[in-house]
Amino acid sequence: MFSNKKECVAMLLAGGQGTRLYSLTRDVAKPAVSFGGKYRIIDFPLSNCINSNIDTIGVLTQYKPFDLNQYIGNGQPWDLDRLNGGVFVLPPYVTGESGDWYKGTANAIYQNIAFIDKFSPEYVLILSGDHIYKMDYDKMLDYHKEKGSDCTIAVINVPIEEASRFGIMNTNPDNSVYEFEEKPKQPKSTNASMGIYIFNWQKLRKYLIEDEADPKSSNDFGKNIIPNMLKDGQKLFAYNFEGYWKDVGTIASLWEANMDIINEESGINLDDNSWKIYARNAAEPPHYIGQTGKIVNSLVTEGCEIEGTVINSVISSGVRIAKGAYVENCNIMPNAHIEEGADVRFAIVGQNAVVNKNAKVGDTQVGPVKGEWQITVVGPNAKVKENEVVPVKAMVD
Amino acid sequence: MNNIMSVIFASDQETKLNELTLHRTAASLPIFGRYRCIDFTLSNLVNSQITQIGIITRSNYSSLMDHIRMGRDWDLNRKNGGITVFPPYASNTTRSVFKGKIEALYGIMEFFEKASEEYVIITNSNVIANIDFDDVYAKHLEKGADITMLTYTSNPTTSKRVLLDLDKDSRVVGTRITQVASKEECEIGINVYLLKTELLIRLVRDTFERGFVDFEKNIIQQKSSELKIYSYHVNGHCALIDDVKSYYNESMKILQEQVRDDLFGVEGAKVYTKVKDSVPTRYRAHATVENSLIADGCDINGKVVNSILFRGVKVEEGAEITNSIIMENGRVMKNASLDYVITDKNVTVTEEKGISGTNSYPIVIVKNKTV
Repeated sequence: MFSNKKECVAMLLAGGQGTRLYSLTRDVAKPAVSFGGKYRIIDFPLSNCINSNIDTIGVLTQYKPFDLNQYIGNGQPWDLDRLNGGVFVLPPYVTGESGDWYKGTANAIYQNIAFIDKFSPEYVLILSGDHIYKMDYDKMLDYHKEKGSDCTIAVINVPIEEASRFGIMNTNPDNSVYEFEEKPKQPKSTNASMGIYIFNWQKLRKYLIEDEADPKSSNDFGKNIIPNMLKDGQKLFAYNFEGYWKDVGTIASLWEANMDIINEESGINLDDNSWKIYARNAAEPPHYIGQTGKIVNSLVTEGCEIEGTVINSVISSGVRIAKGAYVENCNIMPNAHIEEGADVRFAIVGQNAVVNKNAKVGDTQVGPVKGEWQITVVGPNAKVKENEVVPVKAMVD
Repeated sequence: MNNIMSVIFASDQETKLNELTLHRTAASLPIFGRYRCIDFTLSNLVNSQITQIGIITRSNYSSLMDHIRMGRDWDLNRKNGGITVFPPYASNTTRSVFKGKIEALYGIMEFFEKASEEYVIITNSNVIANIDFDDVYAKHLEKGADITMLTYTSNPTTSKRVLLDLDKDSRVVGTRITQVASKEECEIGINVYLLKTELLIRLVRDTFERGFVDFEKNIIQQKSSELKIYSYHVNGHCALIDDVKSYYNESMKILQEQVRDDLFGVEGAKVYTKVKDSVPTRYRAHATVENSLIADGCDINGKVVNSILFRGVKVEEGAEITNSIIMENGRVMKNASLDYVITDKNVTVTEEKGISGTNSYPIVIVKNKTV
C-alpha cells in the first residue's frame, strides 16, 4: 500500500541532563557522550532501530542539544536519510499559546502527538538514550502482537541485591504485569525495567492526554502512565531480554561499559556484521604506532598517533599518546593528548583534554570499593599541568 | 569554487600496475590502509568546493562504481552537479575504447557544452597530494595563463612523464616527454590541468579532428609556444602511483610523520573515503607493533613492523609481518612470516608459511588467494 503510514515509530528520549556524568555532560547531552572509541551512546539505540527495520525515529532533545543535533544531522550514517520517515530531532517548541520545556518523559511524547500522528502508526516504541546494548526491537514487537498487549515493557534479570536500584515489574506466570514498583526496598522479583516500551499508539495517546490534564501528575512513564494503565486493567506484559545491557549514567558504569568492549567475555560484541553499530565517521586516517609504541589488550581507532604504552584501554579517534607516557585501564576520548612521561590509570580523559608532561592521573586499583570502581576524570578540554598529581576519583574541569 | 568543474581519468597507464589492477582500475587501487587512490583527487576537489565532476573510465570500472556509489561519502550526492561516471563505450562515437585522453574528452563533449562552469580541471586519479584548487585558480588568474599545469620536483620514475623547462615566471618554455626512467631531478607535470572550459572544447575539437589523441604530446607539448602555459608547483608531499614499485615506495612513505602531516594534517582539508563502519582495532596480549599504520577492524596478536594493515586484517599469535602491505580482510595465520610482500584483498597466509620479497622487488599476492 502506498502511503506515509508506518507500522511502528520510535521515540528516543535524549533530553536527560546526565548530571551524574559531571563534567562529561557539561557541554553535551548524555546520549552524545563518546563511547567505545568511535561511537556515541546514541549510536546504540539508533543502530538497533535500523537493524530492527524501524526507519522512523523522533529524537527528543532539550538539554545542550546543539552537539547532538549536529551529530545526528540528516541521519545518513545510520541509513536514516529517508524520503518517507528517517530521523527527526524534536526539541520542545511553542505552539500557539502553549509551549514549554518537556516536563517529564510522558510530557515529551505528549508534546509530539502531532508528529507521531503524521505516520498513523499502530505502535510506538519508547527508547532512552543512555544504555549500551544490542536488541532486536522487531522481535519485541512480534511478542507484543502475539500477546495482544497494550503495553510491553522490556525487562532484564538483575541480581536480587541490585534490584532495589531499578524499576521492578512483578509478573504473573504468563508474564503479564500486575504491579510496578519503582526502586522497591524489598523487591519481589528481579525483572528490572530497561526503559524500553512498546505501546498501542491509540491507547497511549489517550493516556497521554488524560495525564496532561492531571495537574498533580509528574508526567512520567514509570510514575504515572504505567501505574494508570495497570489501575485501569489494561494488558501489560513484560518482555524478557537476554544479553548485554548497561545503563551508563554514572562515571563508574560508563568506564565499566568501555572496559566491557575490550573484554570479549562480557557479551557485548561490536564486531558483528549481522548487527553493526553505525556511527558518524570522523574521516581520519588509520592510526599510527611509532617505534616506541606498545599496545596490549586494547582498542585503538582512526587518527591516533601512539608512541607510548597503552594497556587495557579504549583509545578514541585522534588521540595522541607521546613517548614514555603510560596509559592503563583508561577510556581516552576523542582528540585528547597524553604528553611525554604522563601516567594515567583507571581514568576517563574527556574530549580534547590534555595531560601534560610527567603528570600523574589516578592510580592502579585492586578492585572496586563497595561495588564501584574509583575512577578519576579529566573533563573535556581540561588541562592537567606538568608534574601535577590528580588523586584517585578526583575530577579535573 | 562553483565556477570550476572537473574531469577525472580513472586510468591512464595502469598496465604497469600488473597484478594490482587485474580486478580494478588504477583509481580504485587501495592505499594507506583505508583509501583508494582516487579519494585524494575527489577530496581535493570537494575541499575546494568543486562539485561538478565527471569520471572517465576505460575498463574494470565496477570496483570504482562500488567505491563511489552516488558520491555520498564525499558529499557529492547533489541535485546540481555531483558525480557522473562515463563508462568506456558510451564515451565515444566510434564504439571502441578510446585510444588517448583527447579522444575520451571528445567523446563527452556534451558534458562540457552543457556545463555552466567557466573553468575545468582535467586530472588523473593517481595523484597523492593535498592540493588547494582555490589557490591554483588564484594563481591562474594572476598569471593570465591559458593553461595552468600542476608540477612537482622529482626524477622521472617511468616513461611518458612531462619534463618542463620554466622561465623565471614559471611559464613553460620547453617540454620533453620521457621514454625511460632517469635519476635526473627536474620539474615534472603531474597530469593535472586548469583551463577555461571553452578553451578545452576548442583544443580537443581541433586536435582530435586532425587525428591526434595524446593530450600531453599533442596539446601540452605541441602548443606550448602558442599558448601561455604556466606551472603551479604543488607544495608539500606529492606522489604519482603508476607501477608496483612506486606503489610500494609511496605507500611506505606514509610511515614518515612529515608525509602524514602533509596529506592528513591540513586544516579543513580532510581526505574522505567510503565509510565501512568497522570496529576499532583490537590489540591482544601478544601484539607488538612498531612504526606501522593500522586501519580499523584489525585483530592483532602477532608482530607488525614497518608495515601497513588495511581494514579487517587478522594477525595471529607468532605471526611476523615486516616491510609489508596487507590489504583488506587479509589473514596471517600462526607463525607465518611476511617480509616485503603486498597481499591484495582477502588473502590468507597459512600457518608457518614464510614469504619474502626484496625492497626493489616486493612480491604481490593476488586477490582472494590462500598461500
